[in-house]
Amino acid sequence: MPAAPSYPSAASREGPGVAVGVTESLIRNQVHTFYGKVRSDPALGPIFRDAVSDWDHHLQKMCDFWSSVLLMTGRFKGAPMAVHAALTTIRPTHFARWLRLFEQSAREVCPPDAADLFIARSRIIAEALQLHLASVRKESAWILAAILGDAAPEDDS
Amino acid sequence: MTYVVLENCIKCKYMDCVEVCPVDCFYAGENMLVIHPDECIDCGVCEPECPADAIVADSDSRSSDAWLKLNADYARVWPNITHKGAPPADAAQWDGAPGKLAAFSSAPHSEDEAPGAPGSEPRTVPWRPR
Repeated sequence: MPAAPSYPSAASREGPGVAVGVTESLIRNQVHTFYGKVRSDPALGPIFRDAVSDWDHHLQKMCDFWSSVLLMTGRFKGAPMAVHAALTTIRPTHFARWLRLFEQSAREVCPPDAADLFIARSRIIAEALQLHLASVRKESAWILAAILGDAAPEDDS
Repeated sequence: MTYVVLENCIKCKYMDCVEVCPVDCFYAGENMLVIHPDECIDCGVCEPECPADAIVADSDSRSSDAWLKLNADYARVWPNITHKGAPPADAAQWDGAPGKLAAFSSAPHSEDEAPGAPGSEPRTVPWRPR
């Protein structure tokens, strides 16, 4: 066997969560707290009830997702753009509500720096998802939400 | 919003990024990878993972419409890559080398072709960033 070429290995780098105290157990706590709020939320509850059939599986998948994003474990493999694009009932207001509940959960269960990281990444990812939905749906409500971001109105009324 | 692979990936093609990408949005050419802008969720995990510092957010000053277009165009024709293969044997020599765009190959990644093997000279195309 020839010697492996020398270049920095993936294992030498660590995810952005390490420096601010994010652990697998903190991720689990954040994910479970957040989805507890989601399931009892009048706006989001019904959407998730229709979309998720196996909650144990979904919660584990979301733990894997945040582990991949914040700890760079590579555990999650999925296509969230396509999955969200297929959910025809979701509206821009649902993203605003999702982000609000996610932020509340992070403030409740995470140390401040870890909460900041969770919240910052959730906003960036939500924006990417909304921009994608705006481009596939071509509806003014989505395009407005993608442009306005946090300033978009939360309620339909 | 998306992340974009830039010139320094050419002939380095380390592929560490594909192992950490949660959404499998990398596509592979013969000597470079690109990111599919409609699949990237902007999570930023790949950027610090690239040993060649060849990945940036599209809002970064090192990115441009031309690089965004190259990523988008080739993501549609090259195969999806989800696991790191062996980088080219001479990857380290090319890391940071100037003028690598001239070596860009539009050919898709092939599992059968050992990178840098004799007879696998890159086929160049007349694409140029604006």
